[in-house]
Amino acid sequence: MAAITAAIPRPTSSATGIWSWLTTVDHKRIGVLYGVSAFILFLIGGIEAGVMRMQLMVPDSNLIDPDTYNAMFTMHGTTMIFMAIMPMGAAFFNFLIPLMIGARDVAFPRLNAFSYWVFLFGAIIMHVGFLVNAVPDAGWFSYANLTGIEYSPGAGLDYWAVSLQVLGVASLAAAFNFVVTIINMRAPGMSLMRMPLFVWMTLITSILLVLAFPVITVALIELTFDRLFGTVFFVTSAGGDPILWQHLFWVFGHPEVYILILPAMGIVSEILPTFSRKPLFGYPVVVFSGIVIGIMGWAVWSHHMFTTGLGPMALSVFTITTMLIAVPTGVKIFNWMGTLWGGSIEFKTPLLWSVGFIALFIVGGLSGVSHAVSPSDYQQQDTYYIVAHLHYVLFGGSLMGLFAGVYYWFPKLTGKFLNETWGKVHFWLWFVGMNITFFPMHFAGLNGMPRRIFTYGTEYGWDNMNLIASLGYMVLFVGALLFIVIVIQGVRNGKPAGHDPWDAPTLEWSISSPPPAYNFAEIPHVEGIDHYWIKKRKAEAEGNPITGPEAPVDPSTIHMPSPSYWPLVIAFGVAWIGGGLFIEIPWPYIKYPVCFVGGIIAFLGVIGWANEPAAAESHH
Amino acid sequence: MGPCPQERVESNSNQFNGAGKVASGKRFRPRPLILLTALVALVPLLGCAPDAIQSTFGTAGPVAEKQLLLFNVLLWVMVAVFILVEGALLYSLVKFRRRPGDSLPVQVHGHTGLEITWTVIPTILILALGIWSVFTLFELKDPPATADGALEVTVTGHQWWWEFEYQDADGSGRFINTSNELIVPVGRPVNLLLNSDDVIHSFWVPKLAGKVDVVPTRNNRMWFQGDEIGSFYGQCAEFCGTAHALMKFQVHVLSEADYMNWVASYGQPPGTVEALTGTARKGQEIFMSNGACLACHTIEGVPGAMGVLGPNLTGLGNKQTFASGIMDLNRENLRRWLKNPNDVKPGNRMSEQAPVYQTPDGNINLTEKEVSALIEYLLSLK
Repeated sequence: MAAITAAIPRPTSSATGIWSWLTTVDHKRIGVLYGVSAFILFLIGGIEAGVMRMQLMVPDSNLIDPDTYNAMFTMHGTTMIFMAIMPMGAAFFNFLIPLMIGARDVAFPRLNAFSYWVFLFGAIIMHVGFLVNAVPDAGWFSYANLTGIEYSPGAGLDYWAVSLQVLGVASLAAAFNFVVTIINMRAPGMSLMRMPLFVWMTLITSILLVLAFPVITVALIELTFDRLFGTVFFVTSAGGDPILWQHLFWVFGHPEVYILILPAMGIVSEILPTFSRKPLFGYPVVVFSGIVIGIMGWAVWSHHMFTTGLGPMALSVFTITTMLIAVPTGVKIFNWMGTLWGGSIEFKTPLLWSVGFIALFIVGGLSGVSHAVSPSDYQQQDTYYIVAHLHYVLFGGSLMGLFAGVYYWFPKLTGKFLNETWGKVHFWLWFVGMNITFFPMHFAGLNGMPRRIFTYGTEYGWDNMNLIASLGYMVLFVGALLFIVIVIQGVRNGKPAGHDPWDAPTLEWSISSPPPAYNFAEIPHVEGIDHYWIKKRKAEAEGNPITGPEAPVDPSTIHMPSPSYWPLVIAFGVAWIGGGLFIEIPWPYIKYPVCFVGGIIAFLGVIGWANEPAAAESHH
Repeated sequence: MGPCPQERVESNSNQFNGAGKVASGKRFRPRPLILLTALVALVPLLGCAPDAIQSTFGTAGPVAEKQLLLFNVLLWVMVAVFILVEGALLYSLVKFRRRPGDSLPVQVHGHTGLEITWTVIPTILILALGIWSVFTLFELKDPPATADGALEVTVTGHQWWWEFEYQDADGSGRFINTSNELIVPVGRPVNLLLNSDDVIHSFWVPKLAGKVDVVPTRNNRMWFQGDEIGSFYGQCAEFCGTAHALMKFQVHVLSEADYMNWVASYGQPPGTVEALTGTARKGQEIFMSNGACLACHTIEGVPGAMGVLGPNLTGLGNKQTFASGIMDLNRENLRRWLKNPNDVKPGNRMSEQAPVYQTPDGNINLTEKEVSALIEYLLSLK
């Protein structure tokens, strides 16, 4: 056993270059890996959206064929949800949670690395389909029984199902890690009701992930077995039930919506107090509304299925529960406005993005109520009205919130500012572009334009709305390119930011920027919700204000987990188990033994991991 | 028709323009704002289109009307909430923007009374709307008991066309099977039984009724009633594969007399050989023999033409459109369709399966003359 571990000696923390990234277990570096990968995937998803917008710019367009169009909206949805917004949230969890709770790392640093590598391999498997011309094309929701082997004979949906399964492993590993980290590793004095709001939202999101992913796992296993091994869960000709898929998918899928939005809500809840120099209004209420959303999120899934014929009794229940979930959401918005009210609001870029989040999320929330009402939704379901709604919530909501976070914490990550002026230009490009793109879609939908159609005739009167939406996309595209430039410029020669550029209330700002590998030389003793504000103001009152970060210490005096190869090895094995299905081999049935090889790699990896010494042998 | 959602747009633009001024630190002046509001108010003229043929506005029957009523009320509530909340947001941004020399603001941590207020008021508002929607749900479940003479039609969704079957079209047991154009009498409820032959589709005619999914293994039901004579456009609303966008149909609402007339003349006189012109007769021969069309298509009264895989072609000549409502019925369009259906409707089963289309480029394996004869024959089907 030990021989396996010894085969690959534990790398020391002095590793540099690419190896230091491949073997890192540092939560801050893993956060960066998540963030960069997610942004690249976001660009891919954005280009897929662009292909659709170019096709729909004019009626009766022949730019792409229907199958390509169907592949585009499938991959756009799948990429944005599972491989862009979720991992962007994960990037913030990774980078911030230990810093915000006063810990030196997460509870399971190697598990954290493992989750990133599995995520990356899952995303790669999904995109291999492009190379072998087997792109999934049944929508991000992939409704049975269209996904059956009879109606979708290509390998595209196998890639989709297997890759989501692999991505699910990554999400679950990360979610468990953060639940344990947040529950167990808070600095002394940080009771649950003193945690920063972002930590609360991460905790709720992680619990949702832990509970929701098993459901989609079951559904994906059933789908995979139907397609590969001849089971008939969703095969209607054999008595399978296509509605079963919809229940499983949305029991996962609706909590997933909150998984996407809660991190952004947490970020905004951090930024608003900082820039209005006032504590969050009604902290306990914001926390509890988050918890209530997390619980009620499980009782509304069938509103995605209002038109499937569930009958008026079931619809009544889901209509009422769905409408009620607007209450805790509204409460959050009112509390954010209460935070701004009476404050001293400084219009720095992060605040601008946060306010944009609130303004646009209100629009998405209101249109959401209009299709929570099932009789009204009969007309809106599966139309562009829904497309408009979901983009106000996910683009206007999640994405604006996440970018608020990027502009806010970039100085902590790098010690440098992102350019303030260009950051504002980026904001306005996206804020305006997003409204140009998605607002006309409300009208298109109400005027009868269904979703997921690759073409439309001019006689329907949808031309103008589609043209405007496509032009809006171009504005968004320019904004995305500008952001890349802003980040490169910021990393290379951004203005030095110091350790606490915004006079912020949370722990992470008390240490230097970028933070040292060990985060906190001395684990802080937390005195209140806005610990660092309390500390700074106390020091100021005593006449010796805090001017610099916590003093650095010799890193060798602090025990930190050493880097490890094993997360990468196990992740590779896990990905092979899934990816092995797609290796083209002329002999039948040999591919399952190929998958088994992945299992062996993963198993050896687990043994190596388990026997690894707590730290690399020291050489000094 | 319903009110246009214009307030929403206006305020939306207020919102960002206002914030823009805040960003530049200037005072909030109303005049340019009013001008801009007026400009943006033009947007709904372009946006709200009750005349658009497939719009959810401009309804023509009780089901769609009640659904729209609910939406319209919701819309006004949304507009009011939008203006209030975005207005308050904007106001606080302007009013509480940082000014030089600002000291630390009062550190308020919350206000229980306020928080209870903004929890309770939305809850009441939402429950009121919710209860009303529940009543509407049950109200729309079935046609009112007082309504007379409901027509029963079985709808079957196919990849990618619609089949309509009347077990008893005229009260005396007349069976009709047709496709893509549903003919109904004005002012009578129509009960639909929804079936699918393959995957999930969704039956949607916005001006008559909201959609209900057509799910294999489930016999969903819905009803609608056309209160105006005219043609109403519908389209499959659930993604169902390659040609989902081209799975359209129409509902023609006729006067009672016209409807009965249609039923009586449907398939009459049958397209018998005697009744046909020379070219059409040639076309029928092709239909029956080397085109092998009969394997999939039924024509009433024509012995042998009893296929059920494709649409029933009886009465095709009386229709306004064909190929699942994507083209007007005329010689030119029929020629385009027959020559290579895949060019017009990618993925269609006829190109995939009919022996006559198994050519390298998917073109029909018949001469121009034969195609012309086929067109004449198809147009003669009344």
